[in-house]
Amino acid sequence: MARIVGGFVAPHNPVMYFNPQGASQEESDLCYGAYAAMAERIKELEADAAIVIGCDHYILFGTECLPPYVISTGEIEGPVDQLPGLKRKPLKSHAALGEHIARVGWETGFDWTVGRALNVDHSVAVPHHLMIEPTGKDIPIVAVMLACGVDPYLPMSRAWALGEHIAAAVESFPGNERIVVIGSGGISHHVGDERMGEVNPDFDRKVLDIVTRGDKAAMLALTDEEILRDGGNGAMEIRTYACAMAATKAAGGRTIAYAPVPGWVTGMGFAELEVAA
Amino acid sequence: MSRNTLEKVLYDLSTSGANKKMFAAEPEKFLGRYQLSEAEKALVLDYRVRELADLGVNTMLTWGFWLQAGKSNRDYLKIMKREEA
Repeated sequence: MARIVGGFVAPHNPVMYFNPQGASQEESDLCYGAYAAMAERIKELEADAAIVIGCDHYILFGTECLPPYVISTGEIEGPVDQLPGLKRKPLKSHAALGEHIARVGWETGFDWTVGRALNVDHSVAVPHHLMIEPTGKDIPIVAVMLACGVDPYLPMSRAWALGEHIAAAVESFPGNERIVVIGSGGISHHVGDERMGEVNPDFDRKVLDIVTRGDKAAMLALTDEEILRDGGNGAMEIRTYACAMAATKAAGGRTIAYAPVPGWVTGMGFAELEVAA
Repeated sequence: MSRNTLEKVLYDLSTSGANKKMFAAEPEKFLGRYQLSEAEKALVLDYRVRELADLGVNTMLTWGFWLQAGKSNRDYLKIMKREEA
């Protein structure tokens, strides 16, 4: 039986790539050290597949069609928004696992949109680059994209339910994969609005506290109004955290690192999620 | 005003090099493909990103639209903060 053996939440900040000097050496070392620590944990967990939960940034899906949630069921390629040092390329895909989750979803009330040859953006490619590739194990991924950047936003409660569904679907997959789940997103950050560059450590710490306590009620109590006010439009990405928390059955976890990095316009938080038995 | 079509224009410009070239070469002709009023076309032609955002256009798009034209991030922020750029 396949099972989820670990989980993580981490940022996918593109500014790290196109403006590395925006952060101090200390901030940069802390963030890259956190990514390296998570890659090491993925190795220790002997993961042989990963489900990376990202979100579109109005790069992949346009006004013609805005899916609430998408899963890869075939090849994966990205990032379409190439960055210095992170060029577009094929990413090894676990197509069978994605297909299985989608099929279970259709039978249980989750009408997945599927990407049979899915392009992803930096929200999947950055954690792949900094957490999966350094394991040296060529771990295949399933890419999940939630509507976090473009309205209509996926409701937080639906992101949670989707995580629970992913956990259940994994358990019925006919394989022995050890799977890690990665919720990919920044905490406080403003993208393109007049508050761009503002970071809110109080909000960031509140979110990390909720994540590491596995507090479902507190996570679902975060309204969009509160997130937009205190964390900014970019913080809507914490829906990926909710999904990852639910997929690991909200057993809590530990903060690996946190730094408010105004020069990278983001509250950079990193946590490992425990997995409930 | 329709933020939907305004977003479609900005999305098309941010995701297609061919569209960017066409817009740079013949902006009026490029915008003629879309269901936009003259007032809406002017917002795009004049890069009035603050007003576009005030209409509800996603700021990921307004920011990308501004930067793809080679304009500075500093000026963008001044405009978004309603300061003189």
